[in-house]
Amino acid sequence: MRPRTVKMWRDLSAARGRVALMILAIAVAMSGVGALLIARTVIVREAAAAYAGTNPASATLEVQGGVDAALLAQVRTRPGVTDAAARQTVLTRVRVGDQWRRMLLFVIAPDDPMRVAKLRLKSGAWPPADGELLIERTAEPVLDAAAGDRLAVAGPSGATTEVRVSGTVYDAALAPAAQESTGYGYLTPAGLARLGFTASADELRIVTPERDEASVEATATAVAAWLTAQGRQVRLIQAPPYQHPHHSQSETITGMFLAFAVAALILAGVLVAATLGGMLAAQTRQIGIMKTVGATTGQLLRVYLGAVAVIAATATVLAVGPALLAGYGLTGLVAEMLNVEIANRVTPWWVPASYLAAGLAIPLAVALVPLVRAARITVRTALDEHGAGTGVGSRRSDRWLTRLRGGRLSTLALRNLLRNRGRLVLTLALLAAGGAMFTSGLNSSAAWRSWVDDGMARRAYDAQLRLASSAPVDTITGAVNAVDGVVAAEPFVSLVATPATADGRIEVQRTYPDDGHGRFLLAALPVPTRMVDFDVTAGRWLGAGDIDGVVLNQSAVSRLGDPRVGDDVYLAVDGVVGRWRLVGTVAEAGGPATAYTSPQSVSRFVEPGTANMLHIITVGDTATVAGQVEAALDSAGVVVGESMLTEDLRTAIDEHVAIFIGTLLALATLMAAVGVLGLAATMSITVTQRTREYGVMQAIGARPATIRRMVVLEGTLTGLLGSLVAIALGVPLSALVGELLGRISFGLPLPLHLAPGGLVAWLVLSVAAAAVATLVAARRAARLTVRETLSYQ
Amino acid sequence: MTRHRTSRSSTSPRTDEPVIQVRGVAKTYPVPGGEFPALGGVDISVDAGELTAVVGRSGSGKTTLLNLLAGIDRPTAGEIWVAGTAVHEVPETKLAAWRGRAVGLVFQFFQLLPTLTVAENVMLPMDFCGTVAARRRRPLALELLDRVGIAEHADKVPAELSGGQQQRAAIARALANDPPVLLADEPTGNLDSATAGSVLELFRELAHGGKAVVMVTHERDLSGYADRLVTLADGRVVEDVVVST
Repeated sequence: MRPRTVKMWRDLSAARGRVALMILAIAVAMSGVGALLIARTVIVREAAAAYAGTNPASATLEVQGGVDAALLAQVRTRPGVTDAAARQTVLTRVRVGDQWRRMLLFVIAPDDPMRVAKLRLKSGAWPPADGELLIERTAEPVLDAAAGDRLAVAGPSGATTEVRVSGTVYDAALAPAAQESTGYGYLTPAGLARLGFTASADELRIVTPERDEASVEATATAVAAWLTAQGRQVRLIQAPPYQHPHHSQSETITGMFLAFAVAALILAGVLVAATLGGMLAAQTRQIGIMKTVGATTGQLLRVYLGAVAVIAATATVLAVGPALLAGYGLTGLVAEMLNVEIANRVTPWWVPASYLAAGLAIPLAVALVPLVRAARITVRTALDEHGAGTGVGSRRSDRWLTRLRGGRLSTLALRNLLRNRGRLVLTLALLAAGGAMFTSGLNSSAAWRSWVDDGMARRAYDAQLRLASSAPVDTITGAVNAVDGVVAAEPFVSLVATPATADGRIEVQRTYPDDGHGRFLLAALPVPTRMVDFDVTAGRWLGAGDIDGVVLNQSAVSRLGDPRVGDDVYLAVDGVVGRWRLVGTVAEAGGPATAYTSPQSVSRFVEPGTANMLHIITVGDTATVAGQVEAALDSAGVVVGESMLTEDLRTAIDEHVAIFIGTLLALATLMAAVGVLGLAATMSITVTQRTREYGVMQAIGARPATIRRMVVLEGTLTGLLGSLVAIALGVPLSALVGELLGRISFGLPLPLHLAPGGLVAWLVLSVAAAAVATLVAARRAARLTVRETLSYQ
Repeated sequence: MTRHRTSRSSTSPRTDEPVIQVRGVAKTYPVPGGEFPALGGVDISVDAGELTAVVGRSGSGKTTLLNLLAGIDRPTAGEIWVAGTAVHEVPETKLAAWRGRAVGLVFQFFQLLPTLTVAENVMLPMDFCGTVAARRRRPLALELLDRVGIAEHADKVPAELSGGQQQRAAIARALANDPPVLLADEPTGNLDSATAGSVLELFRELAHGGKAVVMVTHERDLSGYADRLVTLADGRVVEDVVVST
């Protein structure tokens, strides 16, 4: 081996403690980078493949009266239509224990070729017998049922019929059942009829060769026009985006996390640069000597870059295992969250290539500056180098150091802390960056919880009931108010609406077949209402005189193209376009895009004095009271189609982001670890460089314990300063992360929320870590004899 | 017996010319109060086979002169020719490679790299300058260590050697690329008198073997070793005498 290479290896070996810190820091960051690269790549690809694999309908046209085989055959021959299927979706309920659960029934004819919106059979057989249904695999825990079990499914009258679960299917186009608090069942028209529903395949699902929005809309509109010409009424057209309902959120959030992990890697690179800078400072004379014996700047640079490459490569290789474990673990969790079965775990070639490139290139790039600076030093400057004390006092700004007063020990520690300002800034930058990301992770998590808590608190109602059909408000109120435990009840109207334009053109709906994602509602609440008290973000809430006024939540504002207060907004219900004046906008946690209006303004769509929804405020066990309300309504001839407790909505909201919040916290911890490692590395360098100085101090009477205390105090002061800077930097960073997370989740930035626990945790953690990190170096310094320290070069 | 010597002057050094020629060299350093003249109008020439001792008090300009000869520093005025190269004109990027081949440097504190063995320290200049094929480096290093009398310590690290042994290792390293010039800065300053004598004897042998050796020292008692004594005071040559032994 060449002597220069031997030197590099032995130098690394001699500084193995610091080398280990550098490797650990890069490995920790690379574990995050690798894990997120794997998770993001596999998830995005598999979710797209799984969704595309179902061959989802490009558009669904709701055809009054249903679509028969003859009409379907004709539709399949229409221009731009490559395939078509006639289906039906029914929203009902199922009895699970003593509770009702929302249940979506997907009705498919036995002779359906199952080419469109395909399912994959996991167990059982298709088609199920008349008294049977198949359930989606993720619905098993929601329905507390498996193949062979029986389900009590409600019919249109509210009466239940027992249906046997004959097997399970995998439907990649649906979000997991638990997230939606909904059971998914698949049965034939005969099976549906057995439950009492009228079987009518009114959903015409068409597939177009091009999946872009414009092509799909053009074809769907043309087919709708053709159907109308055939005397069939098309109630609405749905054309959801050609991607999984949670695709955008997953892609954006995993992208954001990947950026966090790369930031951690850059941080680790800075740590390497700082540590190497310190090590090279101690080697300045050696660099000078090598130059006197013929070493060129380029040769030295290559030697030291080689050292960084060895450190980075070792860390990158060491991180492969944790990255794979964490990456596939996260992939599994996110896949579960998206209801995606991972068919292919193999990552494309560019993932390991990017991983290796990032692991080597980023530390090398960051370390390049101190390395070039060290390698370019002139022989004369290098040979004139006399240690850490050189230069102190030579700057005018150093004079104020002498003015620092305090206890003997604290004065020394404080002056030592401030004498090498460059290194102090680097150490603080490391600690602050790690801490800022740590606190912003905790702040964002707290902001999320606070936002949801606040959102839930603004819903005064404890349960929301959907009636199977509209009923007179007086009947509803009379029945409900007789139930003990009901404090207040407000019937209201909720209608599925579609954005429209001033010229009467009804836009295509973006609702997914699960009837949840992408939905737009028009809700006519009593004015005033005591059931909701949403945070008004512009204008005001509805007043008594706002007959045609409307208040939009943030999702509705976005869907309607960001109208301003005072603008007219157009919505269509059952093909009838109405105009409303926007009086205000509100922030609403959870729930679909909704336009809130007065009961009077929906009288053109529903019979006045009737309602199809009910909010109740209860005392005692809400589920029990809700059950009693249902029974009371049933006695009054009003059938309840669905009952959702507010606490279940909370669960559904949390389910949507639980993994992302967990990942954010894990990344925050990772950042904190890198920051603390940085402090440990720089304190170790500082102590090493002052070895001679400690010898002098001992020679003039300082005891080892005094030196130890002084070093620990200096480290603790660094930790304290770093944590304060981190907390300050964490505030804007929290706002930034909250903005992104909030917009992805709710369409609004999360309000800035500082988690006092997180701030205190970081303060304690960084100061304690600083003390521990420096204690190791301090003990080493204090153990050296005077002779050893004075002979230190 | 000593005799005074005058410096020669030439516009174009030839191979039979002195190995080292310093012509009208001045060196000033910027200091807060203006400029400090470390050297002024120095003219010296050194032949191959000559051991020249540069003596003077602290601050007389000895080390500055040595640094200028090694290309570690640049003259403010004048010319420096070493082994046929105009050192004052060599670009900074080429100086290290030139130095590695043309000059061997020996320091007061030995300056061996602590993590390399003695043999590896000697092989290092060969590695950086690429003057010796890789497989030939260790045998040559051992040969050089044998020449300076410490071959048995080849595989020890510097910390295991005495001061005199370390300085011999440093001399072997200076000879690694067989440079025509050896420059030594206070090479005996950190050694006891007996060891210092043996090191000086070694320098004399090397000089008489054909090297041009320039040794900077504040000790004047070099009788029996130096062929020539150049005395500097306040940055000027105040005496240049040939020493008869």
